[in-house]
Amino acid sequence: MSYTELTVWTRGIIMDKEGRDIVNSISASARIEGKYAQAMENYVDNPDRTNAPTRKYCRVSDQVLENELTYENEKPNVVVLVEGTMVKGWDYMRGMPPGGTLVINTHYTPDYMIRFVPGAERLAQLVCVDAARLAHHKWLYYRLGELGLDRLSTEGAAERNKLVAPDIAAPLIAAVVKTTGIVKMETITPMIANKNAFEMALKELHILPLNPVAV
Amino acid sequence: MSTKGTKIPDWLAVPFAGITPAPSQEKGQDLFPTGNWRSIRPVYRDKLPPCNNACGTNEKIQGYLDLVKRGKYLDAYALIKEDMPFPSVTGRVCYHPCEQACNRGKYDEAISIRAVERFLGDLGQALKHDVVKPGKPNGKKVAVIGSGPAGHSAAYQLARLGYKVTILEKSPKAGGLNRGGIPDWVLPPYVLDREIQRLEELGIAIETDCEVGKDVTWDDLKKDYDACVLAIGLTEPNSVRAEGEDKKGVLYGLPFLRDIGMGTSKVKVGPRVAVIGGGNTAIDCAREALRQGAVEVTMITVEANPQEMPASPEDLHDMVEEGVDLWHGRAMTAVLGNGKVESLQLHPARFSGAINASPININREATPEQFAVDNVIIAVGQRAALGWLPDEFKTARGTIKIDKFGRVGDTNFFAAGDVVQLGMGQPLMVVNAVGDGKRVAFNLDKVMRGEPLQPRTIPVDVIMDLDRMNMTYFPHFPRVQQAMLNPNSRRKTQEEVIQSFSEEQAVEEAGRCFSCGTCNACDNCYLVCPEPCIARPERSNGLYKILVNYCKGCRVCIEECPTGCLEGVPELDFDTGVVRMDTAFAITPGLHGRQAEELVRLAERPAKNI
Repeated sequence: MSYTELTVWTRGIIMDKEGRDIVNSISASARIEGKYAQAMENYVDNPDRTNAPTRKYCRVSDQVLENELTYENEKPNVVVLVEGTMVKGWDYMRGMPPGGTLVINTHYTPDYMIRFVPGAERLAQLVCVDAARLAHHKWLYYRLGELGLDRLSTEGAAERNKLVAPDIAAPLIAAVVKTTGIVKMETITPMIANKNAFEMALKELHILPLNPVAV
Repeated sequence: MSTKGTKIPDWLAVPFAGITPAPSQEKGQDLFPTGNWRSIRPVYRDKLPPCNNACGTNEKIQGYLDLVKRGKYLDAYALIKEDMPFPSVTGRVCYHPCEQACNRGKYDEAISIRAVERFLGDLGQALKHDVVKPGKPNGKKVAVIGSGPAGHSAAYQLARLGYKVTILEKSPKAGGLNRGGIPDWVLPPYVLDREIQRLEELGIAIETDCEVGKDVTWDDLKKDYDACVLAIGLTEPNSVRAEGEDKKGVLYGLPFLRDIGMGTSKVKVGPRVAVIGGGNTAIDCAREALRQGAVEVTMITVEANPQEMPASPEDLHDMVEEGVDLWHGRAMTAVLGNGKVESLQLHPARFSGAINASPININREATPEQFAVDNVIIAVGQRAALGWLPDEFKTARGTIKIDKFGRVGDTNFFAAGDVVQLGMGQPLMVVNAVGDGKRVAFNLDKVMRGEPLQPRTIPVDVIMDLDRMNMTYFPHFPRVQQAMLNPNSRRKTQEEVIQSFSEEQAVEEAGRCFSCGTCNACDNCYLVCPEPCIARPERSNGLYKILVNYCKGCRVCIEECPTGCLEGVPELDFDTGVVRMDTAFAITPGLHGRQAEELVRLAERPAKNI
């Protein structure tokens, strides 16, 4: 039996859609592959505030998922941080079993980032991908004034762009799929809008191997 | 359905928003720290205002303007005295590069920094005891040759560092160029006398009538002193190499002013005077000639128009106001007359390249003009008298050869001021000489203490420009003008032309300062922060503190900082300030999972227990 939990940590409003794109596209791919999958958002985190922490969850299994009521991944195997600074803010490693994967969107190297990771001994690999650069992301860090209207207070709901992963989600999905094999590459690639960033991320991942766990 | 009487399980008894203590309350932030919402941290980082950077001696201009604004005049005077020994002098004579660089000049009008400096300098002059004290004596003797701006500054700084300083001055009175190159109606002698007196109060010995090369030699200096600063200036006037320059009635600019300044002048100028040259000395000569009795004064320059003249535009304006005529595009080729100047021969001329830095092309084929005069004053620059200096330390352009720290070879001799700055691209101005003297004094101190010398570097990004500030906080406000004597009455007297600021004027003018890039305790960040996460014990610069556990990085304070002192620094650049929490409402680990288990088992429980 294979059972994988994926937790995406993202920031309220400004990066809400990115997190949702990651869990939705991965669970959709898993279903296409004949697996059972769940994707859900967590509203207890108060996601309707800019920069507030928000979590998105995904579970992929080859058997029926009986747990339909718990909206929190207790033992995430894969954790994605959509914004790099989140590495300092929360205990996102809580409950991770040994052999986990942490994917961070940052221009720093894994060697620098690992100092902020609590309980890094549980990681099999630390993956850093400069998603903001690969996706030509314009508004994330220092350019709040350029935030489009469709990014304000709607969590992406009023976004004019209906595509899946048009922005920084694409390189992050590439990083997750390439390093964990949670779904097959050929099933998820057609869904991704920003193909260019997706392809470039596959080449430009910074992977720091840590403690591999024999399965 | 009422929830009255429902027993809330312990694991549900979490603090809800309504009962969460406010973050300003004790422990409030520990319960709900939102610091981890932040990806950018606001940081107070003072940058270099352009005025401080432009000043020849890097006075902390923004600092003293801020203190004047708050009425702390004595503190402001003490601050200015760190870099400038005689603010009362530069407050009158400086060509104020600070005002040219002032960011306010790009907005409405530059701050009248020089006038505020003069206000502070006059305040310092009136004090019974100066705020500056000599340093703890370190037993070392230093000679400073020359008591002009560079020598004065070097001696002042060395005395503050604890050296026993002796100034050797060749003239009968100390002051150098301050006394001999600047007319009394710009700088009254009593002001300079008081500043020289301040030097003596610092324990500095001043030996007048002592000329290096004549009364004291290079070897004497080496033997008698631990170190020596050569600030001899440029004392010999340049000639224009015209025929008949040796005729009676031909005067040279700097000696003309120097003799009047020292009170040893025997010159009587005639009614018609011509001044050759277009610099600041030429302007002073023309205006001084009026005061010495000339009726018609004409200035003859090679530059084609007034804008090209290497002179302060304000002085030029004041000179024209006093009635001096300007003739441009001509060079004097001969002085005509029978033993005495009767007329000048002028030819059209222009600079072959850059103004004042290239040879002059004189069109000798054109018909010469004759210009009748009684006296001609030649003010086309000066050179140094270096006959006494060993040849190995001279440069091709007639200055002292130094390294970038002002040191002469491997000796304990240092050189500062015009004698090294000639031809270096910097204008030869009082404030530049003061800055040179200051830096050389600090370098000398380092050499004496055996410390390594380091070149002075300023990163360009640190100099604040207008675009990085929030101009919505600064209303337009006109510059406070200094009163001036009437041009008709002033042209015949030695009275000071420009009048000083009153206290109200100084405070008003200092209040116009933007404090570019520097925290001036305006309290704006404290007021605009949407959360109470900027703390301060009292309203004072440098005492604002960001509560990093709570700041959400909303950037409001950064955007609203009027001076641009606050900067957003990526949070990941800091190793410290890690705030780990669960999310806002799930404060215990696995809370949602346990809630879900309860819900799964809900059906097994008897209805009355629910």
